[in-house]
Amino acid sequence: MDVRRLVRVGAICGAVTVYFALVGLTDRFAKLALVGSSVTMGRLVLVIAPLIAGYAVGRPRTRSGTTVSLPIRDAVVHGLVAGAIAGAVFALFVIFVDAFGVERVRGVFINVSPAMMEYVTFGQTAVVAALILTAASAVAGGLGGGYPVLPVTLRKPTGSAVLAVFALGFLQRIVPIALDQLNVERDWLYSRRLGGLTWAGAVVVAAIAASLSILKQRKGDRIRELVRAPSVEGSTRPSGTQIVVALVLLGLVLVTPLLVGSVISNVLGFVLIFALLGLGLNIVVGYAGLLDLGYVFFFAVGAYSLALLTGASLNTFTGSGPPAVSADLNFWVAVPIVMLIAAGAGVLIGAPVLRLRGDYLALVTLGLGEMVTVLLRSPWLEPLVGGPSGMRGVTDAAIGGFGFQDPVHFYYLGIAFVAFAAFISWRLASSRIGRAWTAMREDEQIADAMGVSTTRYKLLAFAMGGAIGSLGGALFAVKIGSLTPASFELLVSIQVLGIVILGGIGSIPGVIVGSLVLVGLPGLLREFEEYRLLAYGAAIVAVMLLRPQGLVPNVRRSRELHEEDEAQDKWAGDVPRDEHVAAGISPEGTGAG
Amino acid sequence: MRVLEVVNVRKSFGGLAALGGLDLHVDEGEILSVIGPNGAGKSTVFNLITGIYEPDDGDIRYFGESIVGLRPNQIVKLGIARTFQNVRLFPNMTVLENAKVGQHCRSKGGVFGSILRSGSVRAEEERIRERAKEALAFFGSRLAGYRLEQPSFSLSYANRRRLEMARALATTPRLLLLDEPTAGMNPRETLELRDRIVQMRDRLGVTVIVIEHDMRVVKGVSDRVVACDYGRKIADGTYDEVAAHERVIEAYLGRRHEDTA
Repeated sequence: MDVRRLVRVGAICGAVTVYFALVGLTDRFAKLALVGSSVTMGRLVLVIAPLIAGYAVGRPRTRSGTTVSLPIRDAVVHGLVAGAIAGAVFALFVIFVDAFGVERVRGVFINVSPAMMEYVTFGQTAVVAALILTAASAVAGGLGGGYPVLPVTLRKPTGSAVLAVFALGFLQRIVPIALDQLNVERDWLYSRRLGGLTWAGAVVVAAIAASLSILKQRKGDRIRELVRAPSVEGSTRPSGTQIVVALVLLGLVLVTPLLVGSVISNVLGFVLIFALLGLGLNIVVGYAGLLDLGYVFFFAVGAYSLALLTGASLNTFTGSGPPAVSADLNFWVAVPIVMLIAAGAGVLIGAPVLRLRGDYLALVTLGLGEMVTVLLRSPWLEPLVGGPSGMRGVTDAAIGGFGFQDPVHFYYLGIAFVAFAAFISWRLASSRIGRAWTAMREDEQIADAMGVSTTRYKLLAFAMGGAIGSLGGALFAVKIGSLTPASFELLVSIQVLGIVILGGIGSIPGVIVGSLVLVGLPGLLREFEEYRLLAYGAAIVAVMLLRPQGLVPNVRRSRELHEEDEAQDKWAGDVPRDEHVAAGISPEGTGAG
Repeated sequence: MRVLEVVNVRKSFGGLAALGGLDLHVDEGEILSVIGPNGAGKSTVFNLITGIYEPDDGDIRYFGESIVGLRPNQIVKLGIARTFQNVRLFPNMTVLENAKVGQHCRSKGGVFGSILRSGSVRAEEERIRERAKEALAFFGSRLAGYRLEQPSFSLSYANRRRLEMARALATTPRLLLLDEPTAGMNPRETLELRDRIVQMRDRLGVTVIVIEHDMRVVKGVSDRVVACDYGRKIADGTYDEVAAHERVIEAYLGRRHEDTA
């Protein structure tokens, strides 16, 4: 037994639990019931880190190309010890706070409140609570340790069942609404009083998930074949099954807002706006390889130019002033002009940075992006864009008399725009233009020597990326109806870059998934809202470590990242690649010890 | 007909003269070898011709017109393609995609055509594909079949060299500059490549300038050989003339002791 490793992993995970408590996660989630009244998000927060500690020490490890799997009893014991250590670290924290005085600790860490202490001590004295916490953490660690060495026929169904129960528990604000809309009786599944799943419901969900997992294990290859195989060997035309799958997906996309109601549709509206921004940035960063940290520029250009073109008025102390510009165009007339303006702005932004690459380019674009908010707030532009108080009364994107102010209607507008932008991205990527961008990203000098005008294609990337991103800005202006510089901060650039990286650089479906995860999930879990940035950071770190090619990777990009692994595979012979990736992220692989 | 004329070209890097007034020319349909010891300025000549560097002085004329000051991508378009001493492919693009990039300067599909995938763009894409495949087929089955869809980093060293040449051929050049094409190849591959270079001229009608260290290749392909040392031309003539030239022997082997005394 490698005691030092158990202590190290346990201590790290214990520190994570302490951290959760200090930032207030534990307390905030105390009331969010997932299953019945006893499985709450708050309790999950207390045991999740010990569980992961157990998993980390129990999993099979790869060293010098050979994978060593612990016997199940050893794995459980290792997990138990690591979990207990993690629990003990948190227990010590509880005893310390109790002895030192909650109010004094609170002076520094404002989230350490009496209510939180009450919650983590279960109303007992600190010492008793410490014992309970350590014991519970040990059990969690033991479970975590045993899980990875279960035989695969048992492990996959168990994992699916647990994941499904927790996923449905998290989605307690969406699924019940959808079921109500469908007039499906749902009291057996979700408790009206507690919010989370009922125990009976949880059992049913777990059973369904486990059986689906078993089905996938037995018939997975056959199903995959059915979906992937083209109708005629060697043809690129989709098969009947593929068309059916695509139609079902399309149908789901179209009925979603009707099922989930207007609150969730509102969140989805923002998901779509950010997906548009992501698709635009994806052209600049993903296709052309130009790292742009000032992408908020195009968001602002899109939003403000739409507002100006459609005759929005300035915000003044006495209410709304006159329109800044007397152009009073219809939304649909204005949008193409907005795209042209943004494309022109892209060329303007691109021209001074043509000679820059990598870090230098990133820094300069960061500066250019920051200038946007400064300009928007400046007295110089105040007569045009209203300075810090902004503009209001942005027109609706109405067609005839049909408006899009209702979140459900707006969703469809967003879907149409995202489809349009995705179509443009896809066509460009698969044309000679996309090829030139790829060549430029791979080796700029050689691309030039092979006939690709790098000046021209860099500017084109900024122009196209800007034009698509400006659509996101235009939709944002329509959705919000009023604009202030506060919406166009650096944070937007970072969020959009996060979406592109998380989803998979250069991948169109990746951008959509990234936007759903980073914008959608925090919006769905209201408790999560304050922790959005925390979750951003954690999600990006996790993705970069575990899946650097992104959630839905672009084929070529994953080649880039796995080049080294593949070279290793050749060397190591028959060891599957996943094990190498795993070896790279396990604590000893990072050289922490 | 003079395809290329390099007239009294000078180039120095921070006070170090790489080329000190070099003259060079190649006629249509000729295969010219450039030889010389390391540091003689051979690769610098290629970088100057293809616009990667600009000469400090002198002129470079292509079919009588000066190409000094043009960007590399403009020069490729005029019909001068090249390979690099250290193979430089687009490693994560497939073999076919690499060759297709070569066709970039021979096509012109724009943004709107590409988005709408208009008839002319589709036809052009089909043509790009055909030309790229033709260029790859120049090397027989080495770069054909399943290899077309493989990322170029997965190729063997010799095949990377071949792909780089195919990519250059895909630009449909009139003048091809090969920078040490056989470096790192085994003797059999070297001999095969020697024949390919001759075929480039005979079958494709390309004028070739080749920098080469392997004298068997130089002897086998050259109509004319130019020897350089310290950035100047020291000999110009047939292989036998240059090989027997006193200053060439001197450049490679050093001056005989009694001469310096």
